[in-house]
Amino acid sequence: MFSRKQIQTASVSSTMTDKNKRYETLVLALHADIFRYAYWLVRDKAVAEDIVQETFLRAWKSLDSLNDEKAAKSWLITILRRENARRFERKQFDLVDIDDVAVIDEQHSNETEIEHRELRVILASLSEEYREPLMLQIVMGYSGDEIAEQLNLNKNTVMTRLFRARNQVKEALDKANENRGRKNG
Amino acid sequence: MDDLEFRRALLADPKSTDTQVLDAIASDPKKLAFSNELKQLNQKMLEASQIKVPDGLAHRLLLRQSMAQHTQRRSRRKYMQFAMAASIAMVFGLSFVFWQQPSNSLSLSEHAIAHVIMEGNYALGANEDITMQQVNLKLARFGGEFTSQVSQVYYANYCDFNNVKSLHLVMQGESGKVSVFIVPHEQAFKADNLTEGKWNSQSFDFSTASLVVVSEAPADASSMKEKLVKSLIFSA
Repeated sequence: MFSRKQIQTASVSSTMTDKNKRYETLVLALHADIFRYAYWLVRDKAVAEDIVQETFLRAWKSLDSLNDEKAAKSWLITILRRENARRFERKQFDLVDIDDVAVIDEQHSNETEIEHRELRVILASLSEEYREPLMLQIVMGYSGDEIAEQLNLNKNTVMTRLFRARNQVKEALDKANENRGRKNG
Repeated sequence: MDDLEFRRALLADPKSTDTQVLDAIASDPKKLAFSNELKQLNQKMLEASQIKVPDGLAHRLLLRQSMAQHTQRRSRRKYMQFAMAASIAMVFGLSFVFWQQPSNSLSLSEHAIAHVIMEGNYALGANEDITMQQVNLKLARFGGEFTSQVSQVYYANYCDFNNVKSLHLVMQGESGKVSVFIVPHEQAFKADNLTEGKWNSQSFDFSTASLVVVSEAPADASSMKEKLVKSLIFSA
């Protein structure tokens, strides 16, 4: 009786370490992408980190339901979007404008940094329905079909939104360049 | 594919692998330039989107999970400990109840023999001839009745049987006098058979009372018990 009990606890703890290992791998492999995705969803680093914390905690609790490691990313995104929606159920936060947040990236030269900063402001100013599919495409490398599946939208809608999103970005960039040209000239 | 369609498709997905889009790019330098421009924009947006991940985020995520797991395991362990303690307490309680009961209930035969020994010749020495009617009158108190005459009755009186008012009879057995006790079920008694010294005792449980027979000859006790069991009736 006692020996059987010992064997059982041993196997329980070994499945526990297995689960912990899986979780660790999941965190290390995907936390950056998931954090960036969260950031572009909410445009606030602190809120993004909170949501990512909740997302991974929830993911750990239901890690057993994740059978296909390839689906891990979209599974996490689904949890994250649900967490984000839940946040809005609780309270509508005042979001910090991208200009107020110092997003410093030392690796790039000053000029590229200015360009990136400009682009970040433009991306952040897109409405969520355009920003989200665009980020899935750019950050996560999703195809139109994958975005449609993830956001539960029809593919044509997704393609239209992507087209409009990129169009808006281009227009905003052109306008910025024009302004700069005028100022310089 | 017209120009507008082409622009739309490429703006939606600069990395489009649609053959019509790819053909259009190949056939028109302007379209190639547009495609390159969008690919460049894509690259820039990708770079711009790669905001710095907070230092130690991965570690915080792992820490939070292990803390959650720890509290979960600890609360589970606490629950297990509580369950163990409760079940041990229950086993103790139940075994106490079951142990107590038999040891608590008095052996009828043992007490009857002790009664007979203590009494000496007081009842056994009696030599009356009591009728069945008289006995039945006394028995009526316990809801019992003799349906037939078993043997001569020398003595019939109430007695104190371990604080239970019982009927004490002395009857004629095959080889000697036999003491008979009819004890109502007021206390927990154990109907058993016993031989102690020269005394033999046999007992029997009716629905509302017990019968105990004590004799010197072993055969007397058992034969008297059998006769009495057949003759006695208890109505509840």
